[in-house]
Amino acid sequence: MHIPDGYLSPATCAALYGGAAPFWYVALRRVRTALHTRLVPRLSLLAAFCFVIMMFNLPLPGGTTGHAVGIGVAAVVLGPWAAMLAISIALTIQALFFGDGGITAIGANCFNMAIVGSLIAYGVYRAIARRAPLNSARRVVAAGIAGYAGINIAALCAAIEFGIQPALYRDAAGAPLYCPYPLHIAIPAMMIGHLTVAGIAELFVSAGVVAFLQQSDPAMLRSTSGVAENLQAASSPAKALRPLWLGLGTLMILTPIGILAGGAAWGEWVASDYANPAARQQIAASSFHQLPPAQVPKGLERLSAVWTAPFAQYAPPYIKSRAFGYLLCAMFGVGLVMVGSFGAGWLLRSQERAREQAAGS
Amino acid sequence: MGGPLMLFEVDRVHYRYQQQTALSDLSLNIAEGTRVALLGANGSGKSTLLRVLDGLYFADSGQVRFRGDELTEHMFAHDDFAYHFRRQVGLVFQNPDVQLFNPTVFDEVAFGPLQLRWSKSEVRDRVGDILDRLRIGNLRDRIPHRLSGGEKKRVALASVLVLDPAVLLLDEPTAALDPRSHSQLIDLLVEWGGGAKSVITATHDLRDLEDIADRCFVLDAGQLVAEGPPNEILRDAALLQRTNLVHAHRHRHGGEIHSHPHVHGSET
Amino acid sequence: MSGSHVQRRGFVQSTIDTLYAAISRVMYAETLARGEGLLQGIDPRVKLAGLLAWILAAALSSKLWVIAALLAVAVSLALFSRVPLSVLAPVWTSALLFTGAIAIPALFLTPGTTALDMPNVGWRITHQGLASAAYLITRVETSGTIALVLVFTTPWTHILKSMRILRVPVIIVVVLGMTLRYILLLLETAREMFESRKSRMVGTLTSRDQRRLAIHGGGVLIAKAFQLSGEVFLAMQARGFRGEVYVLDEFSMTQRDWAALSLFAMLAAGAAWAGR
Repeated sequence: MHIPDGYLSPATCAALYGGAAPFWYVALRRVRTALHTRLVPRLSLLAAFCFVIMMFNLPLPGGTTGHAVGIGVAAVVLGPWAAMLAISIALTIQALFFGDGGITAIGANCFNMAIVGSLIAYGVYRAIARRAPLNSARRVVAAGIAGYAGINIAALCAAIEFGIQPALYRDAAGAPLYCPYPLHIAIPAMMIGHLTVAGIAELFVSAGVVAFLQQSDPAMLRSTSGVAENLQAASSPAKALRPLWLGLGTLMILTPIGILAGGAAWGEWVASDYANPAARQQIAASSFHQLPPAQVPKGLERLSAVWTAPFAQYAPPYIKSRAFGYLLCAMFGVGLVMVGSFGAGWLLRSQERAREQAAGS
Repeated sequence: MGGPLMLFEVDRVHYRYQQQTALSDLSLNIAEGTRVALLGANGSGKSTLLRVLDGLYFADSGQVRFRGDELTEHMFAHDDFAYHFRRQVGLVFQNPDVQLFNPTVFDEVAFGPLQLRWSKSEVRDRVGDILDRLRIGNLRDRIPHRLSGGEKKRVALASVLVLDPAVLLLDEPTAALDPRSHSQLIDLLVEWGGGAKSVITATHDLRDLEDIADRCFVLDAGQLVAEGPPNEILRDAALLQRTNLVHAHRHRHGGEIHSHPHVHGSET
Repeated sequence: MSGSHVQRRGFVQSTIDTLYAAISRVMYAETLARGEGLLQGIDPRVKLAGLLAWILAAALSSKLWVIAALLAVAVSLALFSRVPLSVLAPVWTSALLFTGAIAIPALFLTPGTTALDMPNVGWRITHQGLASAAYLITRVETSGTIALVLVFTTPWTHILKSMRILRVPVIIVVVLGMTLRYILLLLETAREMFESRKSRMVGTLTSRDQRRLAIHGGGVLIAKAFQLSGEVFLAMQARGFRGEVYVLDEFSMTQRDWAALSLFAMLAAGAAWAGR
């Protein structure tokens, strides 16, 4: 999940630094307003916590182990803005001093995990938890799903960033300069690991820590719960969901960011290589609407066929625009999260209602 | 009131910390230039009192005055007063990991002077000076994590002494120190406090009481239960037992409040 | 419970090892950085700017030999700065294993001209696939080595202060410094927590118990982080902190630093130009 140097082009990295900057700015301002002079120590200690939790290699059911990023815990306990700062700081220190994640990719890693991850996780948490009491099991479930959704959407972002590299950046002979895998390989390759392992680790850590805090220190869950003692301070559910919409919206808008930022590189490529028939053939071959050559290892082939199938069949042939393809993928992923989180919310709600009715009668 | 202006006047102070009463109807006066020990077992409220005296916690009710100025949140909102007070009063926390929050020893000691906007050259000179005086010049570029307990304590002390405060508040200064560091630290405190400085030490360690204090206040469950010179307090075995300062494990009273015959001169 | 997997070198030990490795890495880097060597004597701002420019040049290059040349320079700088091979080698191998595993399918998947046919399996390695894998691996190794050279020749406190020249706001620099300081403390706390747990352990724990242990540890740590942050805030306030931070910049450029800066800049610019 921590993208190293060399996987993303400098233009993509710069674009993602640019994409992250406004969030950092807004987050710093908001957190400063909330914490006043407490900002420096609070942020430092929580960033230190995020760093340490990333070192836990959690044993998972089935004998595997997985690292959690702590997105869910951070978002649930700190709220989205403080969480994105704390995780960003932890990621920066990992990249600079521990060689975990690239230095040029700090912007990308922060964008994926700290910013998009926190916004999604927080939004999902609030959407599912609603106004459930602080010590309810519902909050544990909500935190778990929030962590799962947060890390998977973050992984999807990373996958998309990987996937646009071969289309945009190639050397004179047509060899991809950075990540060599197009979207139809990068997305399933990233997502399988995250949906099955890293996401589960995140789910356990988020749900587990929230359950632990419910027992030991429920006050720590109060500030983000939406259940405040004085009703004035409690933000309305609609307002609380804003981070979710914000996160999903940015995600969709910024998905083709590689194209927008790499405009120059894209243009150059088109200008210089389109005239050349050999290059054109390669471009066509690398287009993600076409299945890879028959020599593809079998497992990957099957996976990518599954993944590209809905798009290949339903996208009209004239939609060859890559930007549209990326948007489609993003919307697909986003849709999955929304359906998942609201489905879970609805289930829990109806269960609760049933319980209430049972208790009332 | 009349008489000389008191350094600290604590007047019927109540303070609650997370639904627990930490200080209850506490009144005491501390004169300028005295060396005072606040004695009490863990949880007696002595650390809380130090923080109240340092303007970090503010009383829920009652008053705390520093040289006649009441210490309130409102007063500390004014830069002038805050800088003046922070320059005059220094607090060394019990846990050096809390006190040492900077990347290096030099940065740590320079933190206070920089916050008080001393000029950069002055900061450099004074920091170098205090490091030499405490014989920790060799630690200058070290990161706090690598220091021993005794070294941490010295750096924490240096970070406060560099401001040359007139009043020094110490929270369990000798806790968790090996015997050698312990005696070095006591020597240092005796030497430093030898002038016209006021030193207020919160401790449950009775070993060096007579070296570090002219006057003692004994606290129990957030209340003042005794006051007097060290030799008098040390002689009162019943008081020391009752307040868990000696043989703490043998004296459990189920939290019941007793009448205390040895309460001296409560300022009412 | 019977079905759950029991690990021999379970979570507790492996986490203790990871935590210990992280602490000792920082400590060892600190020792080397404060020692003697070619780069150790150079102004940290020069090193930070210069080495970041190299990483960027390596990222920009579309010629393999340029990236390889940067790698060679970085390795020789590391050796002249007394960063031992025993530090470099594990980084190289782990990057090679990780990125290598990722790069191998690219040999077959990247469309292009055939370099090697494997008729028995029906797979085909392309020139483009080879080149692409080489780009990825050399770039990862080069950036990794340069970053390592920076960290092992410069005390981290100096790196942080140097970030001011990159226009990183003071408050972020201060937060980064405090974070690193308390990372060490929390790592130590976590290690002690798990070690004390291990000393009381009889036999091996089931995967589920280990998970519970890890989660419990996470909960304790976040509560501790909150509690410490409140205490640290008081300690800062006690020494005059009012929300604004002031720091002392202690660096001054010598002639040697200027020479180093121009060398760094020339190499970065040269590499960027050659790698167009």
